[in-house]
Amino acid sequence: MTSEAFVHIGSHQPRKEDARLLTGHGRYIDDIVVSGALHACFVRSPHAHAEILSVNMGAALDMPGVVAIYTGHDLAQWTTRHRMAPPIDGLRAMEMDTLPTTKVRFQGDPVACVIATNRYLAEDAAEQVQVDYAVLPAVSTMWQALASDAPRVDNDLPDNLLSHQHAVHGDVAGAMAGAHRVIESTFSQHRQTHLPIETRGCIADWDVGRQHLNFQVGTQVPHPYRTTLAARLRLSESQVSVVSPDVGGGFGQKIALYREELTVAAVSMQLGRPVRWREDRMENLLASSQAREDFCRTRVAVDAQGRVLALDLEIVEDFGAYSFYPGNYLARVVAMIVTGPYRIASYAYDVKVVLSNKVGNGPMRAPMSVTSWVMEGTLDAVARELGLDPVAVRRVNMLRPDELPYTMATGEVLADVSPNATMDGVLAAIGYDSLRERQVQARAQGRWLGIGVCNVVESTTYGSKFYKSAGIAGSGHEAAWIRIEPSGAVNASVGLGATGQGYETSLANAVADGLGVSPADVRVLLGHTDIAPYGMGSRGARGGTAGGGTLYLCAQQARTAVLAIAAHLLGLADAQALRLLESRVQQQVEDRWQDTALTLADIARVAYLDPLALPPGVSPGLEFHLTYEPPPMTYSNASHACVVEVDGATGAVHIERYVVAEDCGTVLSPVVVEGQQHGAIAMGLSGSLYEHIEYDSATGQNLSGSLADYLVATSHELPHFELIPMHTPNRSTPAGIKGMAEGGVMGAIGALSNAVNDALAHLGVVVNQQPLTPMYLRGLIRQAQQNTNKAST
Amino acid sequence: MNEQRITLTVNGRNIEFEAEPRKLLLDALREDCHLSGTHAGCEHGVCGACTVLVDGRPTRSCLCFAIQMEGHEVQTIESVGTPQKLSVLQQALHECHGLQCGFCTPGIVMTFEAYLKDHPEPTEADIREVLSGNLCRCTGYQNIVAAIALAARRMREASPHDQ
Repeated sequence: MTSEAFVHIGSHQPRKEDARLLTGHGRYIDDIVVSGALHACFVRSPHAHAEILSVNMGAALDMPGVVAIYTGHDLAQWTTRHRMAPPIDGLRAMEMDTLPTTKVRFQGDPVACVIATNRYLAEDAAEQVQVDYAVLPAVSTMWQALASDAPRVDNDLPDNLLSHQHAVHGDVAGAMAGAHRVIESTFSQHRQTHLPIETRGCIADWDVGRQHLNFQVGTQVPHPYRTTLAARLRLSESQVSVVSPDVGGGFGQKIALYREELTVAAVSMQLGRPVRWREDRMENLLASSQAREDFCRTRVAVDAQGRVLALDLEIVEDFGAYSFYPGNYLARVVAMIVTGPYRIASYAYDVKVVLSNKVGNGPMRAPMSVTSWVMEGTLDAVARELGLDPVAVRRVNMLRPDELPYTMATGEVLADVSPNATMDGVLAAIGYDSLRERQVQARAQGRWLGIGVCNVVESTTYGSKFYKSAGIAGSGHEAAWIRIEPSGAVNASVGLGATGQGYETSLANAVADGLGVSPADVRVLLGHTDIAPYGMGSRGARGGTAGGGTLYLCAQQARTAVLAIAAHLLGLADAQALRLLESRVQQQVEDRWQDTALTLADIARVAYLDPLALPPGVSPGLEFHLTYEPPPMTYSNASHACVVEVDGATGAVHIERYVVAEDCGTVLSPVVVEGQQHGAIAMGLSGSLYEHIEYDSATGQNLSGSLADYLVATSHELPHFELIPMHTPNRSTPAGIKGMAEGGVMGAIGALSNAVNDALAHLGVVVNQQPLTPMYLRGLIRQAQQNTNKAST
Repeated sequence: MNEQRITLTVNGRNIEFEAEPRKLLLDALREDCHLSGTHAGCEHGVCGACTVLVDGRPTRSCLCFAIQMEGHEVQTIESVGTPQKLSVLQQALHECHGLQCGFCTPGIVMTFEAYLKDHPEPTEADIREVLSGNLCRCTGYQNIVAAIALAARRMREASPHDQ
């Protein structure tokens, strides 16, 4: 499917979205004026874990502007409970109330909802709602969660182990027993959050006359969101419209139906008035989805050249207090793809997911991001232990082009990837060999340079078959429609939910080339469940292949129909010698293409206004609809190289150079892809260096409630990224699209950690946790220097 | 509630409305002046999304009260360019892909509309230093930095100042 010559796919197009966003004329949730709307504010638990004894709202109800105050008992009448119970081996079912009625499970858990005439007054009243609690001991770490005498986060479960899955592929025990060496490494990834600059918010407007809910919310997945919202309100999907306008970033935080949003919808139905809510930043940090906190341990059996004979991986993930997603949703994917571009036939994994008194986890840009740090950090450990060059260890283990497609130990098939080419590309770009020489010279001068390499295999488009084999409920298909209007204008829609990716631009290129028009003539409509077809929305990196691919196939279907009509109007037997280019019908005469008298507008006019002139059997109008199921999984690949200098006196990390070679197949819009690469790398570096949702280990209090505590890298800390684009098309997807946008996070986490370890290698210390703060690194350096002093005295 | 009459001068126009003295400039701009281009990102002065100009200087509109701004000139993103006619800086951000979700963008535009007036020849380090007052979660900043440098060059070329 990759033989087409593209006109617009891969061409530079400035974004269609920009003009409105640059001038302050975007429409985000909070910009939408709804007259008579009431404002919601939530009363939140100050405790990590506590029984709710009583909620006393007396004084608050009498305050100015207050209309009503509701608790979980009210919501229990108006909504159904949330049950997360996919039939997955090793996963326990979980249920939760819309708002807790008996106990709170994290600091920030909502216990009551104040409705008032404006946000200031709602916040005033929320402060006066008196909740009596009986504080319970909190589960603040994954290790506490696993202790036999741990408090139970969910009283309906026997303990805090939400999910436990394991598998053995090949003779792992035998390989370990007979190996030259068995090398163990650990990796502790810290808790982080998505931090879209636009916080969550919604507007619910119950139309009493039509018995219909119009629900505006920034969401990545409009249709699945509507399905859940309608069910939990006991409404039909015909009674709910979900409309997602401009969205100020998502990164995975805007997928699940949150309890606050469901509450706002239910309250609008009760009051028969529009109700709106926007969380503040503290609520975003205390109560919106969090991610990433896990511990990984690898044991690799190797020979003397560093060849991996077997790998054993253990993961423990701290999932937080509630199951907004199946417990195995995140960590299981890590286990399935961790071997990346390497030839590792014997592999075993054990994945435990535990509950704690923290915000429930959700997928955050590259939920499987730790895979690269774990695999590449493990190979660096092999190099360190055996005294080999880290690149040499990668080379002996890396799949050669002639070994592809390669079936990984877990059964996943890796095809159309180019890890050797990307690694060669970055090593050449940074001048690896001369850099090693410079590193030696610098160290002699007391300067600690480090070089980190990280190869990435990014799982991009999750097909239904992958979900099934990973034991995750869900479909990977996508849906699109295209309508050529009577004027020849093209409207198109797909079930994705835009949160800044530039879909209106990149997807227009897919439609333009599939059909044969200019992208300027294509309007892409997204984010409205009454307009868009039922698709699975935006998550992972599925926008390109699932979104763009489905639109491309639908556009090809439209082109076939248009050209059949053109052939009939031109008196030709068939359309074999016709094509559509920039809305002009062209005919091949010998080896030249010539314009005919027809344009797309002429065909459209006939289809709508003169249908009797259509070929026999052809229906009037030009409307097309198509669903597409992508392959089980598509993969992009990349290699990251990072050069750092660690200041031994302060522990500060300075990134001197950052180079990435990335192969993401056919790209719809190179400018959009480049932007996604930058953003993903930045998120990975920022997360590895600074960001940390920290809970007090004794009380379970969230210590990161402001942006003065939750630090994010600014333009000042981040380096200039050098990108080397590569394009090996995927042979089993429309137009060869692979998808991308998360791999940058994966590579950054690994490349940075490997570089810092390389810089500190002479001290004999290893970073095995993130973030790599100056305090953490200084602690390691101090320890190493004290040991050296002791040894020398 | 203790509402009183407040008069603001925003984008060259006087706007009168009733609000409590505690009402933030940010909220007054959005709700009472009907100018929604100024965005609330953190409401504690860190992210810079709400940046406007007060008497020509970049100011966090989430950190001041509307009533304090009486007698001052407030400029918001709506005063800069239009979708049909972008400013030099906005055009450069468009060409360099210096925005993705766009939520932080108005604050960045306002910061640098002011900065470039006083600093026509910033280095990349200068730009990165000043831009560090605006958080962007989408772009990794690189294309924003490139756009600001491009805009500065075009502004210099359009109005060469005394050497």
